[in-house]
Amino acid sequence: MKKLLRRLLHRNLSRTQLAGFVLSNFTGLAIVILGVQFFMDARPIWDDEESFIRKDYLVINKHITAANTLGQASSAFTPQEIKELEAQPWVRRVGEFTSANYRIYASVQTGGHHMSTYMFLESIPTDFIDVAGDDWTFTPGDKSVPIILSKDYLSLYNFGFASTVGMPTISESAIKAIPLTLSIRPDNGQPPCDIEGHIAGFSNRLNTILVPEQFMTWSNATYGEGPTPPPSRLIVDVSSPGDVKIAEYLKAHDLETAGDKSGSQASFLVNVIAGVALAVGVVITLLSFFILLLSISLLMQKNRQKIHSLIMLGVDLKNISAIYVRLVLGVNLLSLLLAVGGMLLMRMQYLPALRGMGGAAGNILPSLLTGVGITLLLIIFNVVSIRMKVKRAFLNC
Amino acid sequence: MDRITLDNVLPRVFEGEDLSGSQVWRSSLTFERGRNYVVEAPSGTGKSSLCAFIYGNRRDYQGRISFDGSDIASISPDAWQNLRRTQLAYLPQELDLFPELTAMQNVCLKNDLTGHVSHEQIRAWMTSLGLADRIDFPVGKMSIGQQQRVAIIRAICQPFSFLLIDEPVSHLDERNNALAARIIMTEAERQGAAIIATSVGNRIGITTHVELHL
Repeated sequence: MKKLLRRLLHRNLSRTQLAGFVLSNFTGLAIVILGVQFFMDARPIWDDEESFIRKDYLVINKHITAANTLGQASSAFTPQEIKELEAQPWVRRVGEFTSANYRIYASVQTGGHHMSTYMFLESIPTDFIDVAGDDWTFTPGDKSVPIILSKDYLSLYNFGFASTVGMPTISESAIKAIPLTLSIRPDNGQPPCDIEGHIAGFSNRLNTILVPEQFMTWSNATYGEGPTPPPSRLIVDVSSPGDVKIAEYLKAHDLETAGDKSGSQASFLVNVIAGVALAVGVVITLLSFFILLLSISLLMQKNRQKIHSLIMLGVDLKNISAIYVRLVLGVNLLSLLLAVGGMLLMRMQYLPALRGMGGAAGNILPSLLTGVGITLLLIIFNVVSIRMKVKRAFLNC
Repeated sequence: MDRITLDNVLPRVFEGEDLSGSQVWRSSLTFERGRNYVVEAPSGTGKSSLCAFIYGNRRDYQGRISFDGSDIASISPDAWQNLRRTQLAYLPQELDLFPELTAMQNVCLKNDLTGHVSHEQIRAWMTSLGLADRIDFPVGKMSIGQQQRVAIIRAICQPFSFLLIDEPVSHLDERNNALAARIIMTEAERQGAAIIATSVGNRIGITTHVELHL
């Protein structure tokens, strides 16, 4: 009987319309699940603090003018200004740069060369440091202080200074092995203090010379003259680096951002592109859903008389619906399978390139679940619509 | 199901009309299982409407129709479909056959819902009604008289307590009328069912217990 029912109720079936649905639903689904899969595969790039894409931090300072130079204006942030900044919706958290409040110079003794220079030290909360390891700490009494240098400084030395004055170039690992001596020369009456230092890492993000916060607190308290000066630079963790409100706020408050912003821009662009792609996928999927809904409606309309006659015979309404439900299931599962296949093929194409950028083959379960979830939703909506139409046909008999 | 009762039933299209002579409309009437009824009336007086009201595919009436005392207005769609498979058999005037299916397929579509009779029995009925060479012939290519005979066989291919046949022999000659009447009566008696037949003049030759005028 099912065969006869199918023969009757599939009459007037438009294969072109169904093919149109499969094609559009496949396209929409493939875009959506490929987007999800790409996100899963590219997540290590996001999670990697050193990656080009993750840096949602801004280092901000006040615009330096002649008034600052002449000492008529302060470049430091007041607690009030910091509080106002923290209250902005795009700010996740704010870290302060603390400067050393004493004179200090560093010296290096290597290969018969002795180099010595006045220098400065700053510290920021550990969470903001992209290369902080387990040894990024200091307890008074420790023999050595870890230091993080801006990568730019090493480049300046290797490609600018060393080649000009005939000094050897130094690799990151070599410089980490060179012992430094930090000589604190306090003006507060305390005796001078020499302490060893070692380079713990190089930061892309922070354009300064960093020591652990604990060292800064201790040394400022011991050797600093007067209270610790307020911060003149702040590091801000922002939720959406491309947000125009950030630029507007900075401009309104005469603030500048320092450091490399390309990471933020890349992150913003990736977000926008991913958002657009997902939106396009969702729209195509929605349109395909309407194609199927209309195709089935049209088919049922064309077969209205047959549905009426079957109802008059006493055929269960669910058996009549089932013929169309099976059709909906078939085309939806076919497009899901095609979309998953398409996604896996595309993934094979992009994975090698993504691996080169720090990505990895991520879990495919979320994208599969997304595909299955969307397909289930489409099926449920169509099934409800079919059942309602058959019931209406019964009532209009 | 043993009784179909009509209480003060009137098709809405007849509202305000004088129907004092009718034994069906605006009266109290009970069809009982085991008895045969013929509703005789000229065209346009609501014979098909009566069948459709009882079969539940039209609801444009006033009054109350009940099966064994229960108002049919409260029957759910699924329950209706069950009744149509097991209690109510119906041969509509317009036949409602599927023209693209053969005579056998049309009948089997109904019979397979309940597996009521064997395919041999169907063939035997078809043969006795002169359709032996039309069993596997598309219904759409048959004459209206042949189609009516296919529809008669289809109507009895189910268990039923009441068989509604709306002008069942309007396109049949006397011989085929008698043959059809015998098959219908035999099957109704076998099931202990009632027959409610309508007629505009060419009446089916069944034993009539009650004759009603609309």
